[in-house]
Amino acid sequence: MEETSQAAHERLERKGNLKKSVDHVQETIDLLMKARATIAADPSVATTTLAKLQTPVKQSLGKVNGDLKEIHASLGKYSKALDKKFKDKPLPSSSNDALSSHASLINRAIAMHLLREGQLSVASTFISEANTHPPPPEAPSSPAASVTSPDHDMQDTVQNDFTNDDGTFRSEPLQKQFAQMYYILHELRNRKNLAPAILWARQHSQVLETRGSNLEFELCRLYFVCQYLGLDTSDDPVTSDPNGISGPLKAIRYAQLAFGNFATRYTREINQLLGSLCFHSNLAQSPYAHIFYNESAWDEVASSFTREFCSLLGLSADSPLYLAATAGAIALPTLLKLENIMKEKRTEWTTRQELPGTDANPPMMMPCGHVIAKETLDRLSKGGRLKCPYCPGESLARDARRVYL
Amino acid sequence: MAELTTTKLNAESHLLLDQPLLRLPYELARKNFKTAQRHIESSSTTLVSALKSTTSAAANDATPAATLAALDTMLQRAQTLKRKLEALHADETTIHRQQRARLAHLQQLHDIPSLADVKYDEWSRVRLDRLLVDYMLRMGYVESARLLAREKGIEELVDIEAFVACRRIEESLRQGRTGEALAWYADNKQALKKTDSNLEVELRLQQYIELVRTGDNPKLIEATLHARKYLAAQQDTEFTMRAAGLLVFPPGTAAEPYRVISTTADRWESLASLFLETHHTLLSIPSTPLLHIALSAGLSALKTPSCHSAFASSSSNASSSVTSVCPICSTELNELARNVPYAHHTKSHVENDPVVLPNGRVYGRDKLMAINEKLGTPAGKVRDPTDMSQLYDLTQVKKVFIS
Repeated sequence: MEETSQAAHERLERKGNLKKSVDHVQETIDLLMKARATIAADPSVATTTLAKLQTPVKQSLGKVNGDLKEIHASLGKYSKALDKKFKDKPLPSSSNDALSSHASLINRAIAMHLLREGQLSVASTFISEANTHPPPPEAPSSPAASVTSPDHDMQDTVQNDFTNDDGTFRSEPLQKQFAQMYYILHELRNRKNLAPAILWARQHSQVLETRGSNLEFELCRLYFVCQYLGLDTSDDPVTSDPNGISGPLKAIRYAQLAFGNFATRYTREINQLLGSLCFHSNLAQSPYAHIFYNESAWDEVASSFTREFCSLLGLSADSPLYLAATAGAIALPTLLKLENIMKEKRTEWTTRQELPGTDANPPMMMPCGHVIAKETLDRLSKGGRLKCPYCPGESLARDARRVYL
Repeated sequence: MAELTTTKLNAESHLLLDQPLLRLPYELARKNFKTAQRHIESSSTTLVSALKSTTSAAANDATPAATLAALDTMLQRAQTLKRKLEALHADETTIHRQQRARLAHLQQLHDIPSLADVKYDEWSRVRLDRLLVDYMLRMGYVESARLLAREKGIEELVDIEAFVACRRIEESLRQGRTGEALAWYADNKQALKKTDSNLEVELRLQQYIELVRTGDNPKLIEATLHARKYLAAQQDTEFTMRAAGLLVFPPGTAAEPYRVISTTADRWESLASLFLETHHTLLSIPSTPLLHIALSAGLSALKTPSCHSAFASSSSNASSSVTSVCPICSTELNELARNVPYAHHTKSHVENDPVVLPNGRVYGRDKLMAINEKLGTPAGKVRDPTDMSQLYDLTQVKKVFIS
């Protein structure tokens, strides 16, 4: 019989419970109570009362037992439905659990995930529990793990900032950073207050500029827009005006104060903003309407802010833990299939050297502009001249140059 | 190989990680039922035979007081049974509620057509929270688990109490107590007999070892009795002989294998893991945290050699103007991912119209130009976004062919 697990559970919940058994035990109790009262009132009927009691008690206890059958049957059907649902789906196994020896790295990843998700209280509980019950020490890492290079310096410092000498996770710096991020985001999203974000962007102006980020300008532009439209943006000392001017005039004053730094990089955008001043009476019909009536502007600056903030910490904007776990769940059916095939065919998974682009086998560009892997290059040239496999060009192996993808 | 860009969500095959979500409450419901059955059975037998003997006693001139007292005992017994059943019924209701919530949670997947759907994103976040709670519980971080479950409102989807109870027994073994574990064993005896578990024997042996270790005579006699009662029935004679042999050797002996058996710190540890294994098998809980399984699959699916390259990649470098979106390159996971195998990528993705700068860095032409416009580079010049110190002439930018 085809039955979904939902239907099976429905029945289990309705019929497969102990409610009836409890009622039938009560029935037995009532029988005993009644008999007791009768005997207490008139001891001479004890024998007959007790004799008459036998069958009813046996019957009601029999009912209690019988009630169980229904539960048993419902449980059985539910179990069958589950078996069907998970047919051909083994319980996830641990055949190659590469991660179990790295519990403290996982703990760190979780702590950072909780922090970046804004679960600050869970994060601090987790960190203190993880530090009081540290996982067993890790297996010594492979020699490759100690490779560092100048290019990774920034990430290394981030890492060291968050790890104590004894390997436990030290969270205060990161916690403080994320607390700041959530404060700024909260002000942005919920209170439409740009001031803290602008302040942050100004403090990191230099880095943001080298990253080619427009965040600071975007924030200031949004501020200008708010001033222009007379929207309430919480007090920024720069523009709080004793004369009580508002609207476009206030916006002009803000532009004079704040846009000076942006003049060279954002000339066109600034011109647009200033041009809009001519249209202030019918802005909605002006060519500049899209700047002023952009519903998603707040979301855009908020997500752009999150991205920049995380990047400056050396972190990607979306939680890597979330991305990796989701990717894992998506990849799992395929991986499992692969594992089964490998077991059947007794083959091994050797993809280690399949892709070029490892440090040992980097991509090399020949003078003709075609790129091949270094190993390929060495084999083709045997030290001397080689012909490009893609075009008629001939060159010397030593003229090929490493490229960085 | 399947098309890489397919985003269709196959809800059924997506449930690989979620089997324990439904299995565990089922096992709990079954156990609940078995317990109820046991109570009812023993109480019924007692009640029926008590009633019979009271009746025959009353017929043989028992005093009314004695008859009433016997009835009171029976009543008490029935009341106790009712109380127990009511408690079990309450537990059962909780389990049913959880099962309903979980089925509904999994059913949601069927209503999501695509992996790119916002709803899938939400669902997957709930799943991650579930996996995290599971991980925390296994590590013994109970408070964090409770807090996270409460904050996210997923208490119905996680099994905090089951893990807490399991943890308590595990810890009691680590502290050198067998009582809790034996009680648990007795509670689940019927089901465990089918699984061929040697947990009980190992626990009894441990009690025996502890008695022998004291080395004083009354304890040794107690040990002998204990062994006769619990260990002698073993099929494996060698095991029994060796246990008996332990009596002869004084504590702290250097003779093998008795030295190994009687140095007990490790034995308690292995008993704890034996208990865990038995417990998890009984309740259909996978032996490794689900988070590990999801993560290691995810890490190897996403990992590329350049994630651990000593040379920063042009497209995924925190200091470059292109924001890093690669989760493996991010600090959280980078070290973890070193140990997993690489994925097999059937397609390589290179940016459109790649060009190379004099320093060997490759970028998509459009992207490079867009970045330089943002950077405010003077016309006719180009900067490498990963290395701002050099200013190159646009003529030095060369087309490169990558296949």
